[in-house]
Amino acid sequence: MGNVQIKGVTKSYGGVRVMHGVDVEIEDGEFVVLVGPSGCGKSTLLRMIAGLEEISGGQISIGGRVVNDIPPKERDIAMVFQSYALYPHKTVAENMGFPLLMAKRPKAEIAEKVNRAAEILDLTKYLDRYPKQLSGGQRQRVAMGRAIVRDPQVFLFDEPLSNLDAKLRVTMRVEIKELHQRLKTTTVYVTHDQIEAMTMANKIVVMRDGRVEQIGRPLDLYDRPVNLFVAGFIGSPAMNFLQGKVATRDGRQVVLTDQGIALPLDGVQVEDGRAVTYGIRPEHITIGEGGIPVDVSVFEPTGSETLIFGRVGGVPIDALVRERIEEEPGKTMSFRLDPRKAHVFDQVTGQRL
Amino acid sequence: MKRSNPWLAVALWTLISFLTLFPIYWLFVISVKPAVDLFSTPDVLLTSIDWQNYIKVMNDSTLRGYMMNSLIISTGNAVLVTTLGFLACYALTRFDLAGKESVFFWTITNRMAPPAVFLLPLYLLLTQVYVIGDFKLADTHLGMILVYCTFNLPFAIWTLRPTLDGIPKELDEAAFVDGASAWQVISVVIFPLARPGLAVTLILTWVFAWNEYLLAATLTNFNARTLTTGLSEYVTTTGTEWGIMAAISVFTLIPALIVFGMVQKHIVAGLTFGAVKG
Repeated sequence: MGNVQIKGVTKSYGGVRVMHGVDVEIEDGEFVVLVGPSGCGKSTLLRMIAGLEEISGGQISIGGRVVNDIPPKERDIAMVFQSYALYPHKTVAENMGFPLLMAKRPKAEIAEKVNRAAEILDLTKYLDRYPKQLSGGQRQRVAMGRAIVRDPQVFLFDEPLSNLDAKLRVTMRVEIKELHQRLKTTTVYVTHDQIEAMTMANKIVVMRDGRVEQIGRPLDLYDRPVNLFVAGFIGSPAMNFLQGKVATRDGRQVVLTDQGIALPLDGVQVEDGRAVTYGIRPEHITIGEGGIPVDVSVFEPTGSETLIFGRVGGVPIDALVRERIEEEPGKTMSFRLDPRKAHVFDQVTGQRL
Repeated sequence: MKRSNPWLAVALWTLISFLTLFPIYWLFVISVKPAVDLFSTPDVLLTSIDWQNYIKVMNDSTLRGYMMNSLIISTGNAVLVTTLGFLACYALTRFDLAGKESVFFWTITNRMAPPAVFLLPLYLLLTQVYVIGDFKLADTHLGMILVYCTFNLPFAIWTLRPTLDGIPKELDEAAFVDGASAWQVISVVIFPLARPGLAVTLILTWVFAWNEYLLAATLTNFNARTLTTGLSEYVTTTGTEWGIMAAISVFTLIPALIVFGMVQKHIVAGLTFGAVKG
């Protein structure tokens, strides 16, 4: 069973604690993405699962076995590095067969498993080439091939797509997801790209400053972020935040900004007068009568949709709409905010209300 | 941009090659001339070849012994310091050792001091201190191999460190995850990638030991006497045997050229290209 349990894991460098009691449960066969900004500890956590980094406290179990003091080679894991980490003096076949060679498997078995992995990854015709003779995407596939020949309990991916161009990244994203659906091996994947996290994961772990901010399914994180950080991190373009106080207008609760603009609410139970941060995603804003007045500064048409940048009472607000806008920047437009999609956070703690 | 004249480059490199190779050619000319012709009008072109000097050298069992001593000491030292330097650099580049930069600088300072400074202490160590029963390190192959470590090991560490620094640590980590032991990481992953640097270190330390005169002349008597010290035996009060010295010098050059020829294919950069993103 390839389940991974991380219980109260801490990490300190000298006297500086960088990981503060992380708890994550990863079920067998799950695709879990650790996501967060640079320095949040996601790669450190992955390296601790791999055994490349010692843990200062807590416990990590793989397949029900505590691995705190077990070296990487005995953890039954395979890892794909951001830089591919292919052995430059070995051919593609030798690179892919290296883990089996280290495990002293018979040559025939190594050849068979390498050929099968090469077929899955469409690398058969490159088996005799050296890494320097391959493109970035092919090298990344070799690194994945080296991982899958071992048939490990857990795959660990450390930002594997960061060095690829945007188009190849999308292709490889699909390939990794297909590979997971085919092999059903537990996967822990680190990225700072929330789009990768949203599109690939069964479960996302959002991290910041060595702490877990929220764990959940991608759409749960999108729909119900537990705090301002997760709300701002998940979703692209990022959620708009406006400050105000809860008030009742015409029998309905609104958030009233300092400029007296009423932001609509629906289904949120918060007492009047409370200082809150109002969050609304750009895609939950439409253009139409009866909205809030926004001074528009920039239009970004992408063909399928238009991203509109503006300000309300001096505070930035963006909208992402399906229609094509023919207006000139500099005018005031009416943004309609969908009250059912609004999020309200405590202004002091940043927690969801 | 205007292209430079290729003939100018050819002429320039021919001139430089000529200036570099002429002393070697001149050495050979001296070695194949009878002693009586050496001080006649200098003749750059070879009109006749007299192998007498070479025959004398080849038939001299003492000189053959010196050459064997030189080969054993230089090769033993080069292999030892390259191996130790490689392992030291692995530790210096891979592990978070306390004060490792100080250790690195301290080893380099050994190389900076003039060898003559160490002459007396080394002589006393080899003749008085490192003594087990009747065995003394002085005038032994092992003694000279260890003595040359004093100067060649810092050099090996200094030349190998950039090579080891240039091999991404992620390759070690990938190998560890792939199931390799620490020794397998060093032997199967790091060693092949460090070969260019190791080859350069091996040949340079070999040449340093091969050419060394001062320490060999002081710390050896007969058993471990080297070819360079043998040369001086032909400078006597009754005269200098230039022809034989030239023949010995040619013999001294040949192994160096062979060693260089063997390792030169490894002295190429770019082996690590493709290891990581690129």
